[in-house]
Amino acid sequence: MGAIGTGALYWTHYIAISLIALGLIGFLIRRNAVVVLMCLELMLQGVNLLFLEASVRTGTPDGILMVVLIITVGAAEAAVGLGIILNLFRLKGTVELDAFRSLQG
Amino acid sequence: MDWLDLGLTFVKTLAILLTVVNTVPIMSWVERRGAALIQDRPGPNRVGPLGLIQPIADFVKFIWKEDPTPANVSGVLYTIAPFLSLLPACLVLAALPVGDHLVVMGREVRMQIADLDVGLLYVLAISSLGIYGILFGGWASNNKFSLLGGLRSASQMISYEIPLAIAATGMVLFYGTLNLREIVLWQEGTLLGVLPRWGVVLQPFGFLLFLIAAFAETNRLPFDLPETEAELVAGYHTEYGSMKFATFMMAEYMNLTTISGMMVTLYFGGWHIPWIGDSQLLAWFGGSRNILGLFQFVVFFTKVTAFLFLFVWVRWTVPRFRFDQLMRLAWGRLIPLTLLNLVVSAVVLYLVEGR
Amino acid sequence: MSPNEWMIAGMGIFVLVCAVAVIFSRSPIYGAFGLVLCFFGMAGLFLAWSSPFLAMIQVLISTGAVVVLFVFVVMLLNLGHGSGGGVAGWVTVLFASGGIWTLSLVLLRALNRSPFYPAPSGAQGAGGLRAFSKLLFTDYLWPFEVLSVFLLAVVVATYVVARPEAGNVARKENR
Repeated sequence: MGAIGTGALYWTHYIAISLIALGLIGFLIRRNAVVVLMCLELMLQGVNLLFLEASVRTGTPDGILMVVLIITVGAAEAAVGLGIILNLFRLKGTVELDAFRSLQG
Repeated sequence: MDWLDLGLTFVKTLAILLTVVNTVPIMSWVERRGAALIQDRPGPNRVGPLGLIQPIADFVKFIWKEDPTPANVSGVLYTIAPFLSLLPACLVLAALPVGDHLVVMGREVRMQIADLDVGLLYVLAISSLGIYGILFGGWASNNKFSLLGGLRSASQMISYEIPLAIAATGMVLFYGTLNLREIVLWQEGTLLGVLPRWGVVLQPFGFLLFLIAAFAETNRLPFDLPETEAELVAGYHTEYGSMKFATFMMAEYMNLTTISGMMVTLYFGGWHIPWIGDSQLLAWFGGSRNILGLFQFVVFFTKVTAFLFLFVWVRWTVPRFRFDQLMRLAWGRLIPLTLLNLVVSAVVLYLVEGR
Repeated sequence: MSPNEWMIAGMGIFVLVCAVAVIFSRSPIYGAFGLVLCFFGMAGLFLAWSSPFLAMIQVLISTGAVVVLFVFVVMLLNLGHGSGGGVAGWVTVLFASGGIWTLSLVLLRALNRSPFYPAPSGAQGAGGLRAFSKLLFTDYLWPFEVLSVFLLAVVVATYVVARPEAGNVARKENR
């Protein structure tokens, strides 16, 4: 692999932060609980990219290890989140977030 | 990476891909005649001598038959699901080492499409993508039985990926590398002067576990509940006709060939023949690397063929598992056993070699 | 621009397009499919940054297990044919988007100007698999072990949360 010039590094910043931003936007505007979880996973991927890029910049493997830990923990929280969604579905018959307003106001 | 390298890679890809794609019709013939042999009946014998033209007849039928699309299927997903199944089956071939190296125009050409340092991990990762074709195929068919078959098959494949990976890891402890070519190179020579230094000799139990997990990964009997003909009406590919069904079948047979290739690479010495080293063979072939390479190619695919025959043999000999038995086998028996295998290997390696 | 940079740019655009497809997907199944493509693109980005190990781990775990879990749940709950819940009102969308883009720009500027962030050195890689595994079992041994206990807790928790309740409630869920 050739040397990574300065241009690519900044693109990676843009890509990673765009991913985090897009994930956050999706998280806030979608009404389906499963899609909200998917947007959460998107955010985690953006963070992964930032960690990896920092690792390559400084030449230490710590960032790569962080990414592995994040992927693992992300998978675990997706699993628990989906379990909770299953339960919500049993409760109301739907996973639209608009149906779960009992704590509101 | 200049044009010659690119051209050579293209030729390698074509060679390996075409070889494996050609095993699909041959396997369909072997399957049907082998089944007939085991079940004491003739099998297809009308179409040519010994029924050898049967696969071609099947292929012609698949091309000319109407491709039915049921109503209310989810357009895009229904159409691409067979190809989602075929794509990982083809991609995994990139990492399999079919021989050592050839010498072309003064360059050393590895007989492997992609010599990855994480080759084993690549194979495991890409074969875990095969689940999507089944899932989307089952769901997009708008048919409850297909959906059930798809979900069952997918959960089976996920469950058995774990013992597959841990059994392979037990072997990697000995090899010290994930690079498939170096794994095969390690298996040259003999152990204690008598036994070939193959993986199966070092870890026969690990091989057995890997074999069982491989049967389940490829949805072959005895783990074939998702596509049983009597119970789920062919499961996730019920609603797929002619070419799409042929694509699913092709993906399944290519998966079989790939997993057999993995077993040969990890446990049976890849392209080596027992007790005769590469340098000796090179001397026999008059120092020509290319002839040696061809020989290694033949040896590799002979071993793969032996495994394919094993798959066919077991299919028609053993009854199938019920789904809960299948899952209990994976989680309750295979995972603890593979972990035990890993621990024992690590301990033995530490005691014997001190590392 | 070297081929590596082309790959980073191309994969980056691919990832962002798939991310947009996920957040504007008309049903969770298409969202899951977009997520698969997005993670694949991420694996490509990891490869372009000279970490084939990370790329394979990404495909193996994220694409091969996490999204499969999502697809499972979508299929089990039969959410695939639905409208996906749609999107909140346009005012919310406007303010959410605006606020988040502003925050992102702030973050970007902070990253680029931070004194703690070393200047780009064109480094080739971060030591490869051996350095990583050595680190995993020495400096990061404690997080590694905690993570394994954590995963055990997650498995048990997911089972407890998602199991059908005994008695009448289980029958109520048959539609």
